[in-house]
Amino acid sequence: MTPLTLTLRTRPAQEVDIGLLTPDGLQAMGRPAIEQIKLTCGNRSLRLHELFEVQGEDTSVIHIRRACDKLYGIGMAMSFGSISVQGRAGDDVGRNMRGGTIAVRGSAGHGTGRGMRGGYIEVQANTGDFLGGAEAGALEGMSEGVIIVSGDAGARVGDRMRRGIIYVRGNSGDYCGSRMKGGTILVLGQSGCYPGIGMRRGTIVFARKPAEISATFNSCGVLKMEFLRLLFRQLSNSYRKLALLRNIGPEAERFSGDLALGGKGELLVLHSAL
Amino acid sequence: MLTRLSGGKVYDPVHGVNGEVRDVFIRDGRIVAPPPGGVKAGQDYELSGAVVMAGGIDIHTHIGGGKMTIARMLLPEDHSAHPVASGRITRSGSGLVTPSTITTGYRYAEMGYTACFEPAMLPLNARQAHMEMADTPIVDKGAYALLGNDDFFLRLLAEGREQALINDYVAWTLETSQALAIKVVNPGGISAFKFNQRMLDLDEEHCYYPLTPRLILQRLAQAVFDLGVPHPLHVHGCNLGVAGNVDTTLKTIAASDGLPLHLTHVQFHSYGTEGDRRFSSGAARIAESVNAHQNISIDVGQIMFGQTVTASGDTMAQHRNRASAYPKKWVCMDIECDAGCGVVPFRYRDKSFVNSLQWAIGLELFLLVKDPWRIFLTTDHPNGAPFTTYPHLIRLLMDKSYRNERLATIHRGAAAMSTLGSLDREYSLYEIAIMTRAAPARSLGLTDRGHLGLGAAADITVYKEHRDRERMFSQPRFVFKDGELVVKNGKVIKITHGGTHVARPDYDRGIERTLRPHLEKYHTLGWENRKLRDEEIAGEGRGRILIAKCTPRQAA
Repeated sequence: MTPLTLTLRTRPAQEVDIGLLTPDGLQAMGRPAIEQIKLTCGNRSLRLHELFEVQGEDTSVIHIRRACDKLYGIGMAMSFGSISVQGRAGDDVGRNMRGGTIAVRGSAGHGTGRGMRGGYIEVQANTGDFLGGAEAGALEGMSEGVIIVSGDAGARVGDRMRRGIIYVRGNSGDYCGSRMKGGTILVLGQSGCYPGIGMRRGTIVFARKPAEISATFNSCGVLKMEFLRLLFRQLSNSYRKLALLRNIGPEAERFSGDLALGGKGELLVLHSAL
Repeated sequence: MLTRLSGGKVYDPVHGVNGEVRDVFIRDGRIVAPPPGGVKAGQDYELSGAVVMAGGIDIHTHIGGGKMTIARMLLPEDHSAHPVASGRITRSGSGLVTPSTITTGYRYAEMGYTACFEPAMLPLNARQAHMEMADTPIVDKGAYALLGNDDFFLRLLAEGREQALINDYVAWTLETSQALAIKVVNPGGISAFKFNQRMLDLDEEHCYYPLTPRLILQRLAQAVFDLGVPHPLHVHGCNLGVAGNVDTTLKTIAASDGLPLHLTHVQFHSYGTEGDRRFSSGAARIAESVNAHQNISIDVGQIMFGQTVTASGDTMAQHRNRASAYPKKWVCMDIECDAGCGVVPFRYRDKSFVNSLQWAIGLELFLLVKDPWRIFLTTDHPNGAPFTTYPHLIRLLMDKSYRNERLATIHRGAAAMSTLGSLDREYSLYEIAIMTRAAPARSLGLTDRGHLGLGAAADITVYKEHRDRERMFSQPRFVFKDGELVVKNGKVIKITHGGTHVARPDYDRGIERTLRPHLEKYHTLGWENRKLRDEEIAGEGRGRILIAKCTPRQAA
């Protein structure tokens, strides 16, 4: 069977929620039924075939081609299979995702991996704010899974994050890892101000010292932490994109905090350059 | 056009009509006498076998004002999990425990309710509360203004000023905030909380003002009585939710001293301290006292199991309850130094001893208070449960075997502590019509609502008789609002806009000389903006002002 390929005909004028177009949502649907799916675009109701050209039939492997930032909710709550996106993706990619993989060969909008509970998201370019953050009103953000961003991320990466791994190859915005309760964030580029503000637990690893660290974080000096070597070896073995981490040394300056909230979290600023 | 509802079984307790088959005629939004000489009706609804009642009236439901907005903001998950799509004529909304204003109106109408009253409107926030209520379609509405914790009032009292001045202030508040009645929440307690007092019993002194809640209560009740406001002082008493508060509630009833009082969500004020867990039912003692005091009316504030959110002006109680918040987030805030607000989400669980007993206490109250004219059906929406659970509650009251079935599913220790299983009373349709229609209308002074007499407003609900009362009351066959058919088979088919009930007793405007300097010195809202004008409510043609008659009484 060939993968189900949805090619966007023209860029819609308003945002379109395509959260339904996942391996779960399309399970056991034939192409005619898929073409008739109703999508809401602004105040209009469209059939899927008016927006996308449909090819293939394997709904567990979905390709979205010529995507644009008006398509939001890609892979929402999916639990298996894979979605690959060619072009830009809108907000909420992999929101509430439980399993499977999403690969975006372009940039993604805000809230990528929001409320994620499992699975793997890869973004080749940049993402917006609240990467791996929480659903509106939810007290926990991403609670399982892996997000790998090759470009930059916006503000509040891993807001309220509970478990899982977020890796940002480029820079990250302000308040990286704010209100974190667990999990690991790695930022190789330059991070903005006040990382880890309000964090209770969890680890944020920076390759460069962030622009400013809050006064509620206390430096514990430069430590040699063997676990970092183990962590990086494990990550570089598991994910091809993370192979460059293999030879990073175990020395890092450790900041504990947020001391306003117990101080069990940590910021680690690596000493050996990449 | 003349409309005839023919052959339905009519329940109209105001006129003693108990299930008689009668025809009801409607013309121009009013109930009229049968036309002489058999004039043909323009529209005839054949209702044989159906039950005809006046439209339901909810005397205590939080549907407007700042705290509902805060509750909505605190629980966005309630809204994302319960979207309501727009229909052919209806508009979209969201939310289950705090539905959007528009959805609230539809849901009430779809249950056969035609009037709802917001019980906690801060005079300073009146504009926003009325705007929200204006956005609640179909039903009539009204609000009770909060007094008893504002500094101006407490100062008057502390300075020992005469009752007449307090009466003027109360009347001024009613007029400027377009309210129907006066409510007091934890008399003096919200103010005391700001001075770091964490408890305030009926006879305990406020640590700043030399006042007790008893005095505040009595002076306000006196003012409401003197001014002749139809609805007695609406009291949310001291010590809400505290085990052992049954004594406080009994003292409050005694403190009324013969003045009419309405005690609200009494279920939350009926807890004893017996048993191993130091938490027991005080329903029997409360009911006995209510039965004996003709001047007291109550509404229950029944809880139902499930997720909801509690929103109250009682910062003291809400701050006390914050540890029980589920999900674990809460808000307590001051409002313009004049009152407070606390929003704490709650999930009542039938496996919990306390929650199960609360459930049983509410039902015990319903069944033990003998006079349905003095007990009203409420869940204190959304504090005990969302109002959409009313049909379920009605079934619990009307069907003993169903009630006992449910009783068997709650926490065993709680069931054993409760006398609920031994109560055989089943409400009749006539009694339900009293407690959800006739009695609230009478208590609020809505003379042309809550009954089906000649000249009454044609707010009529027609239910299809069904043995399952929950089903019957959740899907009325027809609902008429001011003579217009708005709901058919439990679905809204026409959108109308109800009126706003207000009370406007006469008073001496000399009070403004004292009041104006105080408000201008301490308050954020300019004097000119304090008064909510009629045009702001009725200006866009979407509402109208309905004035309840006040008959001033001279204090004995």
